[in-house]
Amino acid sequence: MTTYPIICLNLRKRFPGFQLSVDADLPAGIAAVFGPSGSGKTTLLNCIAGLDRPDEGEIRLQRQTLYSHVEGINLAPERRRVGYVFQDNLLFPHLNVQDNIHYGYKLTPESRRRISPAQLVDLLELGPLMYRPTKNLSGGEQQRVALARALAASPDLLLLDEPLTGLHLSIRGRILRYLKKIHRELAIPMLYVSHSISEVIALADSALVLDKGRQVALDEPRTLLGQSAAAPLIAGDSVENIFDVTIIERLPESGITLAALGETTLALPWTNIPVGQPVSVSIRASDVILASERPRSISARNILEARVDRVDTAGRSILVHARLEQPWISEITPDALANLNLREGEPVYLIIKSSSISLLD
Amino acid sequence: MLSSSELQALRLSLQAASLGVLLGFPVALGVAWILVKTEMRGKLALEILVSFPLALPPVITGYALLLLLSREGIIGRFLNWAFGIDLLFTWIAAALAAGLVSLPLMVRAIEVALAGVDPRLEKAARSLGAGPVRTLFSVTFPLAYRGMAAAALLGFARGLGEFGATIVVAGNIPGLTQTLPLAIFTDLQAGDDHAALRLVAISVILAAISLTIHHVLIHKRSLLRRRPT
Repeated sequence: MTTYPIICLNLRKRFPGFQLSVDADLPAGIAAVFGPSGSGKTTLLNCIAGLDRPDEGEIRLQRQTLYSHVEGINLAPERRRVGYVFQDNLLFPHLNVQDNIHYGYKLTPESRRRISPAQLVDLLELGPLMYRPTKNLSGGEQQRVALARALAASPDLLLLDEPLTGLHLSIRGRILRYLKKIHRELAIPMLYVSHSISEVIALADSALVLDKGRQVALDEPRTLLGQSAAAPLIAGDSVENIFDVTIIERLPESGITLAALGETTLALPWTNIPVGQPVSVSIRASDVILASERPRSISARNILEARVDRVDTAGRSILVHARLEQPWISEITPDALANLNLREGEPVYLIIKSSSISLLD
Repeated sequence: MLSSSELQALRLSLQAASLGVLLGFPVALGVAWILVKTEMRGKLALEILVSFPLALPPVITGYALLLLLSREGIIGRFLNWAFGIDLLFTWIAAALAAGLVSLPLMVRAIEVALAGVDPRLEKAARSLGAGPVRTLFSVTFPLAYRGMAAAALLGFARGLGEFGATIVVAGNIPGLTQTLPLAIFTDLQAGDDHAALRLVAISVILAAISLTIHHVLIHKRSLLRRRPT
């Protein structure tokens, strides 16, 4: 196993009325670029991919300099080995799915090919789509083909520009799982642009926060929620808990479906999804009720015992971070906080109605 | 049906228009590419230069070509020195005239075709490892091919009708440089309206064919009805 690559960004790019200024070393794994629209996220990706040229600074990927103002280096996009999944996919309309995927693969020298199209077809379950023209694909299918096309060139870094935007809510989870799987099995570092903090929390190990071109934070995603610089950008965005679960039992008479989240069993709404299938679920932080004692009799089907990790203030609401096996976030009012008397490390009960859990497929 | 001299005029017209497109199209493509896809300085000057044949009387375009191709002209002197040939008053000169007058039309049509290709698709190709030239041939041209073919056909149609520049550089030699328009002119001069009308009919048919194909290419309509998929 080689050491994990790191992206060193130090760049400025000016437009009339706007300047992007970033100085960040992004650690290994999946890094997110988070910020409201117009904050310069896509410009940053374009600079890394070589599609935009910064005015000054330096961009390094692993040990390779992609751009250096001082040294006069500006590698052409085709020499950077940076894969790019664009917001609207940009599949080649004159090629079918297979030819789209093979486009970059064929251009990759044999010695540098680490990922084969066959592997990607398997990983992203593209088999039935291979000979279809791209215009007949659904949004989620196009997204998977775009992912496979970028990965088939065996890039050293994968850039993703809001890959979930424009997709139906229900298939967001599936793409998220694919991204995690790709990261796990292909060990490719990713830079993921998003304006949804919930996605960032679900996927990324670190997050770079931009606002109007300025870098306001670089931290572990969950901790951003409590930071004064980043919190205002998140306020208004409803925070969700996104988890991968596996269906274990369906109980038609009880009207619920049981799913495993690690060691924990969750009661989900009734669904047709077969037993054994992995799905993603989303639970809004404001739908997670907290109790300091275990309620005896309650209609909500999920009562989970957790421990308080941290309490963050985000504007007028309070975000309580609690830990089971997974970290959870609950959003409550300051008034509720005053009544609950929460202390770090102390137990707290998370109460969730099964109907508050939405399936993301 | 047609007399041998009429057939010769038809053949010469087709030859001159085809070679004109063959020679003019790559130039038009290069110019259109510069105008649409690059940030080069002097684009306006280039655009005006290639558009001159559209705005000037073809006689002037022909005269300019005559000066270039003559023994004293740059091209004429070079061709004479290198290959010992003189193009003036040959059907090749007629082809050059046809290519030159149709150049601005082809440039405009190709510009439209190239501008219709989303530049972000080209960027996607670059990020997948394709250099600029490969991107052009694997993404830009395949996506613009209908418009490019339509441009070539428009140039061909214009070349078929070329008269003013042709008569200056190629003369009006029956069997050698006398194309359809020149033959019609000659028949009219001789007062042979009947012969002229026969050639007019041929010209109308040729024009109708090329304009129909042009229309089909531009409007992405198949002449054969496609089965819905």
